[in-house]
Amino acid sequence: MRPSQREVWDTAVERAIFNNVPKIKSIIKDYPYLEVLAESVREAKLRVLDNLDWYIDSTMKAVERSRGVAHLAKTVSEAQNIALDIIGERKRIVFAKTNVAYEVHLREFLQSHGKEVWETDLGEYLIQLSNEPPSHVVFPALHMTKEAVGQMLHDKLDASVTATSSYEEMVAAVRKFLMEKYMSAEVGVTGANSVAADTGSVALLENEGNIRIDTVLPGTHIAITGVDKIVPTVKDAMNELLVQSAYGGLFPPSYINITSGPSSTADIELKRVSPATGPGEFHLILVDNGRTRANADPVLRQALLCIKCGRCYFSCPVYRALGSSWGNPPYGGPMGAMWTAIVDDDTSVANLCAHSAGCREVCPVKIDIPAVLEYIKYLDSKRRSVRK
Amino acid sequence: MNRDISARLEVIRTLVTENLAREMVPFPVNRKLCSSWTHDLPRGGETILYTSYMYQLAAVFKTYEKLIPRLTSFSNISRIASLGKYLIRPSKEDLERSSLILNNIVQMLKRHGLSFGYLYDEEPYSGALLLELGLLDEFREYGQKLEQFFAARRIKKLITVDPHTANALVRLKKMSILHTEVMSYLEFIKQVNGSGEYVLHDSCLYSRHLGKREAIRNVIANSGIVLKEDPLVTASETALCCGGPLGPVDVELSDSVSAIRSRQLSRLGVPVLVACPLCYSNLSAHLTRVYDIMEVMR
Repeated sequence: MRPSQREVWDTAVERAIFNNVPKIKSIIKDYPYLEVLAESVREAKLRVLDNLDWYIDSTMKAVERSRGVAHLAKTVSEAQNIALDIIGERKRIVFAKTNVAYEVHLREFLQSHGKEVWETDLGEYLIQLSNEPPSHVVFPALHMTKEAVGQMLHDKLDASVTATSSYEEMVAAVRKFLMEKYMSAEVGVTGANSVAADTGSVALLENEGNIRIDTVLPGTHIAITGVDKIVPTVKDAMNELLVQSAYGGLFPPSYINITSGPSSTADIELKRVSPATGPGEFHLILVDNGRTRANADPVLRQALLCIKCGRCYFSCPVYRALGSSWGNPPYGGPMGAMWTAIVDDDTSVANLCAHSAGCREVCPVKIDIPAVLEYIKYLDSKRRSVRK
Repeated sequence: MNRDISARLEVIRTLVTENLAREMVPFPVNRKLCSSWTHDLPRGGETILYTSYMYQLAAVFKTYEKLIPRLTSFSNISRIASLGKYLIRPSKEDLERSSLILNNIVQMLKRHGLSFGYLYDEEPYSGALLLELGLLDEFREYGQKLEQFFAARRIKKLITVDPHTANALVRLKKMSILHTEVMSYLEFIKQVNGSGEYVLHDSCLYSRHLGKREAIRNVIANSGIVLKEDPLVTASETALCCGGPLGPVDVELSDSVSAIRSRQLSRLGVPVLVACPLCYSNLSAHLTRVYDIMEVMR
């Protein structure tokens, strides 16, 4: 990092930690059942990993039962092409925050095919506008101070916003811009915080309200997520939302969304027909991209339990020092060093782990992250031996 | 990742594994000088005080970390292997400080009724560096050599004085490679005296890998020292690393982490205590008031 970048990063991350870390502690203290739910989420995810192929198949069948369309993408390019085929000739796309779409470079891919794509999550929109990598898996614009956000919005969106504008003024300027994009969007793309294998339901967590609009206003909703997000039942899916919300420091969530297929109604003679007011098409793209290979490895599979709450970032000295330059975005920090090995087959990133183990202390699903990273370092040492 | 880091790691692997195979120390060191802190302990015995040269050589390890970028060829590595022990030596000040700490540990253990020996210049290194760099095959292989070394001398118990050695030996025991009993000197210390207010910078290994966070705090609290705590600086979830383990991989990153941790600690406005020679070496580069717990407790 350049000295000026270092100063901004230090300020931004310290403010974030000051706001987030004590908040999570108080949430866990005030709602003690959340720790019990976290344990149940771990057990539910382990059940899926023990029989992953069967759960993928069950999920896809359940999506079809609810009149959605399920797709399985083994690779990045398969995921990109499936999404492009679904979108077809339609041009205007809105994205809710989706890490897996980032993982498969979907926004850039669609833009290269002439699509107009806008991120609607505020943090992700700021990342799109600044053309910078995300610095946190939940809070992608964490590296920007309020002043930096104000200046960028001034330069690129609305000259009336400045570095000294209030938080509310900045949010309002973005909201005004995005409202136009929502109204004309033909396709909404979201991720999934969890997917229920029994009902094929996609569960989504948010505070901004953008996901609700992205999933109901456009005629087509595409949810793209990893196979690691599958849990056995819709009850488990709901539990995972609550746990993610709590350990991300945003509990209770402003909104949770459950989507099971396209919109429908049975208000005329109880005959269920589709579409109703919301989308007429629902697609779930389940992405593998290294996940089943990781699941076959008894140590690496632990990483698939990760619910991507991002709490481990703030306990990590290397993340504090390097920010987004550690890991391959969108996956950074300790979880990112594991996930970069899984989805990019890059084992070298783990070599920067200091095995300080704060990450293990705060992980809600009790992943022994330092042990996984030690193992990835070992894999990297074997690869270096072969290359010599 | 940066190809420089991969190259560094390969230089370290070559240098360390060759030295361990030949001399059972990771870098060329003057073993007589490093074991000259005592002349009073019996040589050998069933129970051994095991320093693994960590207190004596923490600063020397940092010198080697800085040298690594220059060791791009195997001829350079060989030259260092043959000349290093003469050219890279601990400073007089570092030796005096480590001597004071180690002798204080010896006095306290004796006062608690323990009798033990020392291996002097025969003492081998623990292999901690291999473990911490993820060189697990090399660590296991060296661990077997270490087990044979201790078994041949009929050593039954090792008393460690630093967290890196303690962690490496505990891991070797978990791998069923080492059969010798391993204990930390901290487990024996009950009654010590100290005073003043400090902030404890936890060793990550003691605190989060070996489960000694509260035990160390209890030893310190029983001495009369008051520890200043802050939930964002000293809690088990938030206390950051000193940067030490990153030194062999990336010196600049190691120093950035040390600087961040030092800034956090200095905000509490009291001197800093450490229980690890590498923590001392890293934090003292940024802070003036850093002390090992064995420098302030008697």
